[in-house]
Amino acid sequence: MSLHVLVSDYLLVAPHLLLVGVLILLVQKGLRRLFPLFFAYTLWELGQFTVALVMLLSPAVTGKQYGIAYSIGLAISTILRFGVIHEIFAHAFGRYHAVSSYGKPAFRWITVGLLALTLSLALYTGGNHFDGVMVLVHLLDRAAAITQCGLLLALFAFASYLGLSLRSHVFGIALGLGVFATVELATAALRSQLGYVGNTTLNYITMATYHVCVVIWLVYLWAPERSTQYAVKGIPEHDLEAWNKELQRLIQQ
Amino acid sequence: MIITFALVFLALLALLVLIRLAKGRAFPARSGQASLAQVHPVDIQAFRNLTDPAEEEFLRQNLPPAEFKKVQRERLRAAVDYISCAAANAAILVRVGESARRSPVPEVAEAGEKLVDSAIRLRIYAFQALAKLYVAILFPAAQISPAGLAENYERMTRVVFLLGRLRHSTGPASSAS
Repeated sequence: MSLHVLVSDYLLVAPHLLLVGVLILLVQKGLRRLFPLFFAYTLWELGQFTVALVMLLSPAVTGKQYGIAYSIGLAISTILRFGVIHEIFAHAFGRYHAVSSYGKPAFRWITVGLLALTLSLALYTGGNHFDGVMVLVHLLDRAAAITQCGLLLALFAFASYLGLSLRSHVFGIALGLGVFATVELATAALRSQLGYVGNTTLNYITMATYHVCVVIWLVYLWAPERSTQYAVKGIPEHDLEAWNKELQRLIQQ
Repeated sequence: MIITFALVFLALLALLVLIRLAKGRAFPARSGQASLAQVHPVDIQAFRNLTDPAEEEFLRQNLPPAEFKKVQRERLRAAVDYISCAAANAAILVRVGESARRSPVPEVAEAGEKLVDSAIRLRIYAFQALAKLYVAILFPAAQISPAGLAENYERMTRVVFLLGRLRHSTGPASSAS
């Protein structure tokens, strides 16, 4: 067996074996109820892999049939990933009243903006070396990658600017998905431009990134939930005085 | 081709940001205690004067247009500094409030909740107000009134005062939570 085949088989099988571990952790730690869409996404990915593997090994399945199954699987995976992002938003900002009232409209507009951007990009850069159906699949794949990447970056930027502490599990899921979305964006952009040229290399990059992404999920779900603890032993006296003076000054105004 | 390269570049940039975020979370550099010392008082009255429409109108009527633009730009830059300082304080107070939220004492937890809420609102207002101020620096003739920010800052200072009182009245055991 050549190294090329070995790496290919490893990248195909290993992430999905690790995904079983993610599934077990979700059930074991009771996170299935907290992250139902992430649980559904994990289940779907495993199911999709099993079906794809059976189709690949079966000589009766044609390339066209596999292509259709791949496209359907990709579409459902993408929709579920959007669901997971929604779930991440709900967990990250749900416990802050101020963010709920201001953040929701902001993110609605960000989503609209990203969709408008992807639509204009699709119209501007239509052609490549793929056939008709695959052009559409790759354009949609790229559009989804841009939107997901943009939404996750907005989430991290928003949380970082406001100084919000994301829970470890939420951060881990978002980080894994973010890493995958960014690399997916790069590879989808290249794929829609290059067509079949370099497709194998891009597939390797995508599979390797997916592997990294699953490892991130596994590590963050396995590690105990770490709520950020600060060594605040009460507000220092001199600070209180400063605030007192400030308040007195405000009252006297 | 240019779009493809732009997308690849942006994707790689985003990946670097994510890696940095993950690294920052794995090795947090600041503790809450150290951050609290970085809270600087902000003179709300001075900020109000700087953004007072009446003062702006007075200057507009009493200064030649070129001079007014110059003075107004300086006032707006000063206002930006005030807001940045208030926003930096708010970021620290979010963390203080988060810590207080986990207190077993209901009053402290509630005050912490309010503090977090007020501080986040201030950060959001600061973002909006800064955007307005930067536009106003570009066009000093335009009128701005980030009055909501000043009101919110006042509300936040009241909550911090209340939180401090609660922490001290409930003793060090509860405040260490």
